[in-house]
Amino acid sequence: MVNPEELKNEAKKALKEGKVKYIIGYRKKPEESMATPAFIRRAEDSEILIWDPTCVHNLVRFLSDEKRRRKREKNPEQRPVGIVIKGCDSRAINVLLQEKFIAREDVYLIGISCEDNGVIDEKKLRKKLNGRKAKRVDFKEGQELIIETEEGKIFLPAKEILAERCLECKVNFPIVYDVLLGDKTKRKPEKEFASVEKFDSLSTSQKWDFWKNQLEKCIRCYACRSVCPMCYCDECVVDTISFAVSADTTAEEKANKIKWIEKSPVLSENIVYHMVRAIHLAGRCVDCGECERACPVNIPLRLLNNKMEKEAKELFGYEAGLDSQQPSLVACFRDEDPQDFIR
Amino acid sequence: MDKVLHKKALPKWLKELESYEIYAPQENDDLWSFELVKSFEFLDSNYSNCIQSPKKIIFPQTETLLKFERLENGKLEVEEQLPEDRKKVIFGVRPCDAKALTLMDKVFTGDFEDLYYTKRRNQTTLVGLGCNTPPSPQCFCVSVGGSPHSNEGLDILMTDLEDKYYLQSFTAKGNELLILGKNIFEEPNPDEKSMLKRIHQEAKNKFKTKLREIEKIPDKLKGMFDSSFWDEEAMSCIRCGICTYLCPTCHCFDINDEVYSTSSLRGKRIRTWDTCQFPDFTMHSSGHNPRPDKASRLRQRIFHKFQYFVEKFNAYQCTGCGRCISKCPVGIDITEILEKVKNYGS
Amino acid sequence: MAHNPYIPRLARIIEIKEEVGGTRPIKTFRTKFLNEDGFSFRCGQCAMLSVFGKGESMISISSSPLEKEFIQFSVLKMGRVTTALHEMEVGDIIGIRGPYGNGFPIEEWKGKNLIFIGGGIGLAPIWSVLQTALAKKEEYGELMLIYGARTSRDLVFKKELEELKREIKVHLSIDVEEPGWKEYVGFVPLNVLDKKPSPNNAITVTCGPPIMIKFVIKNLQALGFQDDQIYTTVENKMKCGIGKCGRCNIGVNYVCKDGPVYSWAVLKKLPQEY
Repeated sequence: MVNPEELKNEAKKALKEGKVKYIIGYRKKPEESMATPAFIRRAEDSEILIWDPTCVHNLVRFLSDEKRRRKREKNPEQRPVGIVIKGCDSRAINVLLQEKFIAREDVYLIGISCEDNGVIDEKKLRKKLNGRKAKRVDFKEGQELIIETEEGKIFLPAKEILAERCLECKVNFPIVYDVLLGDKTKRKPEKEFASVEKFDSLSTSQKWDFWKNQLEKCIRCYACRSVCPMCYCDECVVDTISFAVSADTTAEEKANKIKWIEKSPVLSENIVYHMVRAIHLAGRCVDCGECERACPVNIPLRLLNNKMEKEAKELFGYEAGLDSQQPSLVACFRDEDPQDFIR
Repeated sequence: MDKVLHKKALPKWLKELESYEIYAPQENDDLWSFELVKSFEFLDSNYSNCIQSPKKIIFPQTETLLKFERLENGKLEVEEQLPEDRKKVIFGVRPCDAKALTLMDKVFTGDFEDLYYTKRRNQTTLVGLGCNTPPSPQCFCVSVGGSPHSNEGLDILMTDLEDKYYLQSFTAKGNELLILGKNIFEEPNPDEKSMLKRIHQEAKNKFKTKLREIEKIPDKLKGMFDSSFWDEEAMSCIRCGICTYLCPTCHCFDINDEVYSTSSLRGKRIRTWDTCQFPDFTMHSSGHNPRPDKASRLRQRIFHKFQYFVEKFNAYQCTGCGRCISKCPVGIDITEILEKVKNYGS
Repeated sequence: MAHNPYIPRLARIIEIKEEVGGTRPIKTFRTKFLNEDGFSFRCGQCAMLSVFGKGESMISISSSPLEKEFIQFSVLKMGRVTTALHEMEVGDIIGIRGPYGNGFPIEEWKGKNLIFIGGGIGLAPIWSVLQTALAKKEEYGELMLIYGARTSRDLVFKKELEELKREIKVHLSIDVEEPGWKEYVGFVPLNVLDKKPSPNNAITVTCGPPIMIKFVIKNLQALGFQDDQIYTTVENKMKCGIGKCGRCNIGVNYVCKDGPVYSWAVLKKLPQEY
């Protein structure tokens, strides 16, 4: 099991040695079970860093903020940003490196292995507790998690409250890192793409009805996009206003900009939004599950993105984020790529 | 008007309300939301609160303001599209959400009365469900001047008395609903009256007030506009719209024209919710943005709710429903921020 | 039944004048309501112009309220709605709703000297109050206009300025030397210092790009003007125009309702977020 003290020490060391500008990690809020992102600048603040099954967030998402900040500053500080990453998060780092959105020297990666555990799904835990409030959640040896409630501690089989994506996970420890805490435990996940295959077995009209119901709920809060590390575009095609406008943009350019989608969250626009986003993430999504976790109306977004990744694997033998040196799926082709659909 | 209704008799009352469009919390995919009623199971289950407040029925996320069309004779016709005449009842409204509507009333009435909002508001009767226990661990209505059985904004308040409901009506609209079910109700007896009092008192005590002395905050904020405090607090914000869209008091909106045909111009002018948290909310056409970063936008949200609104309407623009805290993808907690504001500089 | 503030009234464009060409064109539109029901407004107020299918844009009314034959707007081509406006022809129908905003407190300025300082398109909101003061010259003190633009081609109301020179002191300027230009060369704030208007019994009204306003105010203070003698207009992105959509606020103030006219004494106390 990973000792959280080791994490604090690594962070303390990096900050003391001036290796990093600041470190993005997780901290706990008093009386709340779920971790929350923390940004620490001083070595002594490392004491607040935690590592437990509630560290669900993909902190890689904050690297695009750092990049924007540097663009705005006159003399941006060049030291790397420290960031605590899990296995899935490290895949996101690989995609950003592959797309040259960040350089390797921009980040100092403190990797943590999930070993044979993972992170929890808060909704599953809430259901299990049925009204009782969780104050903390901790790892325990042997496939169980310790939940501390107001009435005392209870033990639950990890399998029952781990996030669905953790049950299907193959990359349970970071594959790119500067420092690695925990063991590189080989892990046997449930069948890959299990949720997608189950859904695919439905008929076309059943699938259409399903998505119609789900996407009608969408309130276009854009949380799914905001939480995704790969959605870093300054100008998003499925947003109604482009914010890449400067004093030099002409009136004609602004007037003629195509509006691909209306602002109203009606079914037709919501479908365009989600479908376009899924296609723009095809071959880039690392299944960190953040989009589905963030959605306030419980739309099963992982199904959409996993379907694209399943296609990527089956048609092109490609998996996102496993190797930062591999050519990007959507930016190149090989002679042996399938082409029987080209007439 | 006070009445008592046995739980088993509830369906009979509903039958009398057939002339109304009835909304109540419905569960779907582990999510409660106010929908046209199919069942009233929310009263039997561990219902806490709906993901979105009744704001979405009275101030819908998207609505048509007007239609425009170029007719065959070349004339341009512009037609206003007010909401249709339709009486509505919404059941299961928590007092925090009802109070929020009284705050929205201040914005949408007064100068330039917003007829779309006021028409829907006046057509809707709100039947509240008091909170005998805190619906969610993030609730903090008592910290912002509310209470779990407050009737502010409600036409009727229902309090759960185990096998019955104690109904209190506070308005003419509420009385109308009670009169429609007059043969089904009973007059409250002294035991029921004292049980009501006891439950209301106990409920207040069950709310562990997370945030105290909120009256110190508006003045504290005044001196904090230029502080770097907001840069630190906004570091984890991902600038989505969840906090504002789920908030029962947030009212910012956008107006856009949607065109359905250009060969002969035909379209609508649509109003949709908008959020001060989106980067382009305040961006000028020139590219200049008065709030270019997350810090200034977070500052705007806090200031609007706890300083500007107080200065203008003498009320906090927050009723403590806790949705922004429980649904923020990165766990930003408005009460945590306010607590820090209160202690800032000391 | 109460009036619906979101429904524009239809108006016809009766005249279009090209003030400035080139990459940042400005056109002046004179409009007349289809339905003659009174539309009364005060100097400095604005209206939401609708191009149906494109959207709305808040433009200040540059004609005087004393002008009954038309309502005039000068529009700089900036984006989607203003480009559509620029493509319109005489006879086309637009929507107008308003008037919105607080307007200039000209009743308080009776008997005072009025100094108008404008830059570029900023002359448009000033024009309304300038024309009104001119028409009632006897009610006010001495009138003066200090106006400039980047080049001589960017000056608006060129013909009217020539006529104006015969009635009041007009000091023009352009930013960079041009052959044939006989007046001041330099930024408007510097022209203000050069012409040294007296703060005695005077009110100044400044409109233009934010950076120009900032330096004009600084220079006016250096010349001895008090903060309550300095008036300006502020613009912000607007959608509803009636203080409800929450977008244009500067602190507790909504620019569409409590502005756009502010004295510096009031504006300096608001959070500098505009």
